[in-house]
Amino acid sequence: MLKCGMSGSQVKAPFFFSIVFGKAIQALSRVSDELWLDPSEKGLALRSVNSCRSAYGCVLFSPVFFQHYQWSTSVKMNDSDTISNLNCKLGMKSILPIFKCLNSLERNVENCKIFTRSDNCKVVIQFFCRHGIKRTHNVCFQESQPLQVIFEKSMCSNILMIQPRVLAEAVFLFTSNQEEVTLAVTPQNVCIKSSNEESMDSTSSVYSEMFVGPDEFDFFQIGVDTEITFCFKELKGMLIFSEATHAPISIHFDFPGKPMALSIDDMLLEANFILATLADEPSRASSPQSLCLSQKRTRSDLIRSNSKTGKNVTSKALEHISRKAAPKRLMTPNETLTNISALESCGSPKMKRANGDTSEVPESSVSGTEEVPESPSLRKVKEKR
Amino acid sequence: MGQGGAAVRALVPCSRGGAGAADTTSAVFGAFQGQTAGHGYFPTGKLHRVEPVLRAKLAPGTLDVLRVSNMIAKLAKTCTLRIRPDKLNFILADKVASGGVSMWCELEQENFFSEFQMEGVSAENNEIYLELTSENLSRALKTAQNARALKIKLTNKHFPCLTVSIELLSVSSSSRIVTHDIPVKVIPRKLWKDLQEPAVPDSDVSIYLPVLKTMKSVVEKMRNISNHLIIEANLNGDLNLKIETEVVCVTTHFKDLGNPPLASENASQARNPEQMAEVHVDIRKLLQFLAGQQVNPTKAVCNIVRNKIVHFDLLHEDVSLQYFIPALS
Repeated sequence: MLKCGMSGSQVKAPFFFSIVFGKAIQALSRVSDELWLDPSEKGLALRSVNSCRSAYGCVLFSPVFFQHYQWSTSVKMNDSDTISNLNCKLGMKSILPIFKCLNSLERNVENCKIFTRSDNCKVVIQFFCRHGIKRTHNVCFQESQPLQVIFEKSMCSNILMIQPRVLAEAVFLFTSNQEEVTLAVTPQNVCIKSSNEESMDSTSSVYSEMFVGPDEFDFFQIGVDTEITFCFKELKGMLIFSEATHAPISIHFDFPGKPMALSIDDMLLEANFILATLADEPSRASSPQSLCLSQKRTRSDLIRSNSKTGKNVTSKALEHISRKAAPKRLMTPNETLTNISALESCGSPKMKRANGDTSEVPESSVSGTEEVPESPSLRKVKEKR
Repeated sequence: MGQGGAAVRALVPCSRGGAGAADTTSAVFGAFQGQTAGHGYFPTGKLHRVEPVLRAKLAPGTLDVLRVSNMIAKLAKTCTLRIRPDKLNFILADKVASGGVSMWCELEQENFFSEFQMEGVSAENNEIYLELTSENLSRALKTAQNARALKIKLTNKHFPCLTVSIELLSVSSSSRIVTHDIPVKVIPRKLWKDLQEPAVPDSDVSIYLPVLKTMKSVVEKMRNISNHLIIEANLNGDLNLKIETEVVCVTTHFKDLGNPPLASENASQARNPEQMAEVHVDIRKLLQFLAGQQVNPTKAVCNIVRNKIVHFDLLHEDVSLQYFIPALS
């Protein structure tokens, strides 16, 4: 059960709480059409994962963000007699319009209450507006266990912290139909530019780039010179949110293929957007498997959902896999195909060409098998009890 | 992506009348490096070693170029940029694709550039014709609104590009460099004849236009009723915009607009000043023209050739724009 309340606007406060909450939802709507409401003792987390599993967004509002935050688990009567969390998945179409007109929210809303009762599968959002008007929204939710990505940001060799305004100016360079952008870093400077692939293929799109010097960053640590390419749409989503919070954005990344994290860390909230990056495949003419992939790129897969049925465990064990040129390396003898969700990147058509010859990993949801054994790449597993 | 070709990057200081140290905004049209023989960007197929060169420095007033490019972007999706030593033109030729509409926009090079050097395809043909998507240029220049320096080069990376290089002032001491590579198509010489300045037609009536904003709001409303618009005017300063359908007839009358002085004495005696000359046009084409005029021009003249064509002749400070809309057949 969840009950929390936020004040609409306080003139003296640097934050307009409902606005920030609304902006978080707007930013997450760029990631996917579904939103998980995941309350816990740490606070209320809003999570979103896109269907290709190449982007994940999570905004965790700590209990002090709210005027009043109450969360309790209800004990479900089932065989295993375990504590179940609120497994609440909302459609963006239902919840986004509620928080759409943030300007009018700012002007009219004095208080906002959100509460749920898992017995009737509804989230109730109430706005207490001026002149005694009370607006109530009942949003149905689906029971669904949220996905979570565990990503060790501190282990990344490259960490940048930048004011959102600078990033916004970079984003301004690109047209809205730009699919991917590339971030290229050296210890001397940082360059954000149109993805090379796009400009080479099409003779009608403009290639743009912007160089930013190290002194424009609040924090600048480059361990390895690298160029990573990721989806532009999701970056814009993060930017929307950061402009509302006025907090600097941290970018954690490594080599191409490894996911990157865009985060905001604040007293009241913690936002993390984890994006897959394109893996750079050097062409190896000799190897037959890689021929079809030469000069093409594959997108690294970000999340594997691995759930155990039978136990009502809320956590998901998550790993990320880099899809290599030689597909057979992806499957070790112990791995069962049914255990792995298909991690196709379904965005760019170029990706589809690249995947044409790799063995397709079939889509699968929940299975009753054991945890997946070691895969060749980096792997973080965490279980929440 | 590095700069393609062996680009000559040095700025030749061929300044006109002293581009002083106070030139805070400057743009350089850099050298256009042609390809090695056989690369074929000259579609004539001949092996050309001739390399068109363009070097120019924009005078402070880069914003004017931005305004012009914004206007062009509203008027034509794709247009031709013609570069000559003394003038620059944005051209839309009257092809079927544009519905018979044509446009000719002219800038005096010396009003915009403090330094300008170019070499066309050859000595006799000292011009460069480039085809580009207008919006790409206006978007690239939009970044340059607070620029400290602006360079424009013609380069060839994997295909010919207009490279706009902008140096932005940033809060910290370091400046930010922004580069846009706008793909362009070099138009071969054999097609140049279609892109010459259109002849100003002998008009039946020539009249000054009313405030364009007013005209635009009137035409916008009329568009909801019908696509068929009648423009008529006389030598007495009267202009009417008419929509006629089976159900309704709407006319907007503009009076006392004034007429420019006539070219010849004979013509003025022969014509009855009250007599209207009319032309039927597609209202959407007129609307597109009006949408491109964000500010009211310094001068705006409308020339009507009865049942043939309407010609708009505008002057925005030092940029001249001519727009031709053919009559509905």
